[in-house]
Amino acid sequence: MLKDLLTAIDFSDCAEFALALFVAAFLGIVYGALRLSKQAAERFASIPLSDQVKDPRHE
Amino acid sequence: MELVAPLSGFLCGEATQFPELASEASALAPYLLGWRPINRVVLQVKAAVPTHDATFPPFFLLASSMATVTANDQHDAVPNGDSGSGGELQMEQFSYDDTIVRMFAAATILWGLVGTLAGLIVAVLLILPELTAGLPWLSFGRLRPLHTNAAIFAFAGNAIFAAIYYSTQRLCKTRMWSDTLSHLHFWGWQLVIVLAAVTLPLGITQGKEYAELEWPIDILIAVVWLFVFGGNFLMTLINRRERHMYVALWFYIATIVTVALLHVFNNLVLPAGWFKGYSVYAGVQDAFMQWWYGHNAVAFFLTTPFLGLMYYFLPKAAERPVFSYRLSIIHFWSLVFIYIWAGPHHLHYTALPEWASTLGMLFSVMLWMPSWGGMINGLLTLRGAWHKVAADPVLKFFVVGITFYGMATFEGPMLSIKAINALSHYTDWTIAHVHSGALGWNGFMTFGMLYWLLPRLFQTKMWSEKLVSWHFWTGTIAILLYIIPIYAAGLMQGLMWRDLDETGNLTYPELIETIQAIIPLWWLRVVGGLLYVAGVCMLSMNAVMTWLARPAEYEVPVYTAPRLTKHYDEQVPPSKDELADAPVLDVAKKLNIWARMDWHRRWERLPVRFTVITTIAVVVATLFELIPTFLIRSNVPTIATVQPYTPLELAGRHIYVSEGCYNCHSQMIRPIVAETIRYGEYSKAGEFIYDRPFQWGSRRIGPDLAREGGKQSSFWHWRHFENPTEVSEGSVMPAYAHLLADDLNFKAIQPHVMAAYHLGAPYSDAELEQVEKLARRQAEEIAAEIVQQGGPAAMHEKQAIALIAYLQRLGTDLFRTEEPEVAEPTIEVDVADALPEEEPLAQR
Repeated sequence: MLKDLLTAIDFSDCAEFALALFVAAFLGIVYGALRLSKQAAERFASIPLSDQVKDPRHE
Repeated sequence: MELVAPLSGFLCGEATQFPELASEASALAPYLLGWRPINRVVLQVKAAVPTHDATFPPFFLLASSMATVTANDQHDAVPNGDSGSGGELQMEQFSYDDTIVRMFAAATILWGLVGTLAGLIVAVLLILPELTAGLPWLSFGRLRPLHTNAAIFAFAGNAIFAAIYYSTQRLCKTRMWSDTLSHLHFWGWQLVIVLAAVTLPLGITQGKEYAELEWPIDILIAVVWLFVFGGNFLMTLINRRERHMYVALWFYIATIVTVALLHVFNNLVLPAGWFKGYSVYAGVQDAFMQWWYGHNAVAFFLTTPFLGLMYYFLPKAAERPVFSYRLSIIHFWSLVFIYIWAGPHHLHYTALPEWASTLGMLFSVMLWMPSWGGMINGLLTLRGAWHKVAADPVLKFFVVGITFYGMATFEGPMLSIKAINALSHYTDWTIAHVHSGALGWNGFMTFGMLYWLLPRLFQTKMWSEKLVSWHFWTGTIAILLYIIPIYAAGLMQGLMWRDLDETGNLTYPELIETIQAIIPLWWLRVVGGLLYVAGVCMLSMNAVMTWLARPAEYEVPVYTAPRLTKHYDEQVPPSKDELADAPVLDVAKKLNIWARMDWHRRWERLPVRFTVITTIAVVVATLFELIPTFLIRSNVPTIATVQPYTPLELAGRHIYVSEGCYNCHSQMIRPIVAETIRYGEYSKAGEFIYDRPFQWGSRRIGPDLAREGGKQSSFWHWRHFENPTEVSEGSVMPAYAHLLADDLNFKAIQPHVMAAYHLGAPYSDAELEQVEKLARRQAEEIAAEIVQQGGPAAMHEKQAIALIAYLQRLGTDLFRTEEPEVAEPTIEVDVADALPEEEPLAQR
């Protein structure tokens, strides 16, 4: 049955579907990154600058 | 408000255990926390570690200590449930494990020296192959994989680990989860390197670029990488004290997950003994898997961890945060999504299906933008600090390293474009491209990191700042001296190979002409390589002298802070839902809430979920390329006349792989006019269905061998192995005289044939039972041919005969005419009778 199923699937569309999948995921990530507040981005970016635990330690 | 309370005491036990101090801290903390305006206690203690012991000593002498108490009125900064009574806060002490960083840093320098020196040696051997004095362990084919493995897995690998162990602890504000696992990781990895250094010169190899190590070592790598290193890393993330996982950690997660995936699936083999495994994939599919691995090894071993390194060490060295954190997020996800697709661009115009090749090209071109986004993010981190670059050699290393990242990631997509790839592939252009990335990006980022780390790790200033500066300039000139001539050499090769005269014939029909033309450029590469090695020597000397000037005891700062709470409610007031009262569907309201991306922020705080998501991103992309390649039968049309190798040919193929012939010879004729004129009919996918591993190669220092069968006499090959220049003047191939002197172990052929049989080669029962006899019979036929052609007598037991059998078979099946069917021989019949007489084995 699995063999029949695999034979029936048209894999030739994989490339186009993959491209569409990538574009959708990429746009989602860009949108998500742009939604990050400036305050949070600055806090996150400054994490490596200190080896000590700093307050606030969360968002 | 800040209070400072001095503490002192004597500590015994493991680094994480400071019982006396803990009791002092716990006594102090509730009191201080009971004072409402104070909601955080940071206890800073400096413990001293004697430095004369390479490992952590069993005790620590407390040199000085102080508790810093900071007033903070922002109550919402305290995790939910932990504010209020100070007694509810469980304070923990911790220190960072820098011993493991010191060990990996030292290994980086040592293997950097070995790797670059091996590179210099192979560069010289390429021009003067006779320098090996006939020693098989020193031939170019065996040493080149040693150089690449040393550079990638030993030098860059140890650099990655040094960076990860140093930065992860500080980004997570916690010690590594297990010191034992850290040390197991270190020694396990060094064992892998030593095993590689022993097995590769001995010719024990899988014959796949950057995946040469045989299966027992592969298993060791998988265990050390995934369970020891990966497990320790993930547990450290889980036990961190910093709520947000900084973007460098994302790159480390992607590295660990993807490298494990690539390594395991590319190295699936059927063992044919302790020192030989046969790939479960064959031909086109093996090529596809190999370059899915090969390209992503560059991506996830030489790029993503170094980007993590960049995102941590560059802000540290520049003392300013990364230019754009948002851009770093886009950079990360783009690379993870795109890189994994790009592998097929290594196989343009080969027998790989066209759609896969095009998909690889498309994604490779798309890679350019995120890569440059990362480069720009790195360089702009130095905004307003360029005056520091002029004075600080660490920043100079970083700037040049990031610039080379930009160059290499522009050139990579460019080379993936089919029209350009047709010119550049198999030439030295690829070598120049790889080295601009390896020497410039990986090398300089590593050097910058080490020069920043060494004074901190050894707690003294660098022995000679001047020498650091000398290293920078020597290294920079070295890279240019290396890559510029090799770019020129590659371009020359590509143009000379395809050049046709007015009659449509090759202008340079002899490949040796094109090699001789670039040898002066290879000499310039040697000079560049020599300078680069000199730079690494400067680093080594500076590091040793700095280490000698270390204090008698290392100071180990000890911090006290509470653990993160398991349950975390964001104290940030929720932003107003502008659709709350709007007359819209509930779906729209929900979508609006979803679009705030708060869920993504939560994911970024959850290491296990983040790891799973990254894995899914990589796996999905992989499957979309792999499944069609494996399942669409038309991708690999079968050819009726293509048959499995005979036992002797299989033994010869094993020698071909062991000697690393694929490092100089391709076995893939592309459908390009100049190639078909030079080498013959272009290669078909169906011709490689019994090739495990595939041997298409990636470089042509010697001619393509895909249609070598029958081109030269067997005696010609014999003389060629004995002394290549005798039959091919100007050849840069080393002599393989040991193949003419050493006997072939006919009894050892059986496991190779059985492995091929179990993987699908249709050998008959008679053939499987008479492997040795069949091999001996074919060897005698070839030896007789050699005698007829004027060669020495009684050479049928020599290894060269097996290799000749293999070479004479290459590419001939396509033109073989079907013989009339012969009745299947029975097992009882003697093998000499069982095989058709009109079909000598040498021609099968």
